[in-house]
Amino acid sequence: MVEMEQLQKEAKEILKQGKVKFVIGYSKGSQNLTATPVFIKKPEHTSRLIWDPTCVQNLVKFIVDDKQKQSREKKPDERPVGIVVKGCDSRAINVLIQEKFIDRDDVYILGLSCEELGVVDEKKIAQKLEGKKIEKIEFAKKNNLIVSTKDGEKKIPVKDVLADRCLECKAHFPVIYDQLFGEETEREVKEPYKSIKKTESQSPKKRWDFWKEQLEKCIRCYACRSICPMCYCDECVADSINMAVTAETTAEEKAQKIKWIERSPALSENIGYHLIRAIHLAGRCIDCGECERACPVDIPLRLLNKKLEKAAHELFDYDVGFDHKKPSLISSFKDEDPEDFIR
Amino acid sequence: MEKILTKKEFPSWIKNLKSFNVYGPVKKDALWEYERIQDPDKLDLNFKNTVLSPKKIIFPQREVILDFNHKKKGKPEIQEALPEETKNVIFGVRPCDARALTLTDKVFEEEPGDKYYLRRRHQTVTVGLTCSDPPSENCFCTSLGGSPHSTEGLDILMTELNHKYYVHSFTDKGRELMKAASDVFKNPSEKDKKDLKQVHKESEKKIKRQVKELSKITDKLKGMFDSPFWDEESMSCLKCGICTYLCPTCHCFDISDEVLSSSPLKGQRVRTWDTCQFPYFTMHSSGHNPRPDKSSRLRQRILHKFSYFVDNYDDYQCTGCGRCISKCPVDIDIIEVLEKVKDYE
Repeated sequence: MVEMEQLQKEAKEILKQGKVKFVIGYSKGSQNLTATPVFIKKPEHTSRLIWDPTCVQNLVKFIVDDKQKQSREKKPDERPVGIVVKGCDSRAINVLIQEKFIDRDDVYILGLSCEELGVVDEKKIAQKLEGKKIEKIEFAKKNNLIVSTKDGEKKIPVKDVLADRCLECKAHFPVIYDQLFGEETEREVKEPYKSIKKTESQSPKKRWDFWKEQLEKCIRCYACRSICPMCYCDECVADSINMAVTAETTAEEKAQKIKWIERSPALSENIGYHLIRAIHLAGRCIDCGECERACPVDIPLRLLNKKLEKAAHELFDYDVGFDHKKPSLISSFKDEDPEDFIR
Repeated sequence: MEKILTKKEFPSWIKNLKSFNVYGPVKKDALWEYERIQDPDKLDLNFKNTVLSPKKIIFPQREVILDFNHKKKGKPEIQEALPEETKNVIFGVRPCDARALTLTDKVFEEEPGDKYYLRRRHQTVTVGLTCSDPPSENCFCTSLGGSPHSTEGLDILMTELNHKYYVHSFTDKGRELMKAASDVFKNPSEKDKKDLKQVHKESEKKIKRQVKELSKITDKLKGMFDSPFWDEESMSCLKCGICTYLCPTCHCFDISDEVLSSSPLKGQRVRTWDTCQFPYFTMHSSGHNPRPDKSSRLRQRILHKFSYFVDNYDDYQCTGCGRCISKCPVDIDIIEVLEKVKDYE
């Protein structure tokens, strides 16, 4: 069992000692039902930290943010950032270290094991309540959620509303940490790629129809890219801003400027954006599921990433984010790598 | 004009609107969206808040402004591409979203007037629906001068009374729409009128969230441009466009040329939604960005809505629909931010 008090105590200690500049963790959400990210600078505020199955976010994105902010500052505070991570999130840290975006010393990792649970899927909870408005969710003993609606309280076992990614999780405890809370409980995962089973069994036409319908919905708010810890490019291919336009720039020059993707939320452009993003996440996505959770129009983005995760596993025997000392998939080569696609 | 329409007869009204493009809330999987509908039965007036407001019909995310074609010889041909002349009607407009249109009107009506927006706006009839039950847990329209039965920006307001609707039209456009199927409407009884008042009164009480003393907040914001407050509040912001794209009052756009062929040079000039929350929104071609970080962008969103817009148009640029709160992936809550402004020292 993860003891919340211990987590708070450790966070307090590292802040007191000045080991970290601040601690990123979870605190109780205001109106929304899940926890909310919190940035703690003062030791006396560490009692705000919580840990329960509503801590859905992957906070590693804020490490990326801080790194980018540092690069703009003249005298940045170079102390590490304290961060609370789950198993999946910890693998994101490993990828960032592998890719040399951050150093191991940039982070002080407070790792939490999900043990036999994981985090909840708000949509699954909503389904259970058949449209009734949720007023409050509380995590109670024996791994139950107490959900209040206008008709009173309802007890829902967390197991029944776990996020799909948690059901397919290969390691629900941190694989890199400075302090570990909870235990590295083994849990059998029978079908690690269950969610893509359905689309995989469909004909190409059916799949195409499915994705067309899904990607047509996209409003290009870029929440998926904004929340993704792996989307840290200084300039995204979707933005095309790298052309200085002056009064002398001719219409032809502007026309010749390469815009890979137009701003229009047309199907062709949406497909361009999402497929480029998916390919760029191959061998990098750790399946935190944040892109799908953030999407305001419910595009099942996880399916794209899961498919590529499976390809990396089956073709190259590569599982993402388990060892930061290993080279990354894209930058490594083995004699036995398949090459039948090179023609 | 005030009439009664039974729920059973509602589809016949729509069927009589043959000369109109009919839009209304439609459920797709777990979400509701305003869609063009052919079959009146698809229209679902028992809906929670849609992801996007009807803004997307009147101010579409992509709009062609002109077509251009430059052949090697001769002058370039430029063709203005105004929206088609059609008659549109949107059913199930929430009063907050309708009020939002009146705010956007103020911006686009300014000289010389935005022809594209105004044409769509004028050729669209808005049929509102009283929120007898708040469609979102984050509704706070009553804090901003609105109400669940406000009529601002609406041509017609429908209020559900058990198995029927009380239909009230206030404009010529609205009356014309009701006349298109006059035989389906009945005159309201005294009891209906009493029930209507009751439902309207009850609906206001059901709005749980509120911001108090907004004018005090507006005054305070004036002195907070350089405050470290924005750094603290924006720590968890992701720089995505959800809050602004989903906002019924946000109306910023970008203009770009979409080239269909480079020789001969041919294409379209389009405007697409843009947002102050994107890092490149304020990027100059020199590479300088006057709003370089997320704190300056959160500040912009709050100040535009609760300070600059008040200076320019004497109104808040927010109608309390709650979408930005409900859909923020990191739980940034505009009500909380405003409350914190009030208490900030």
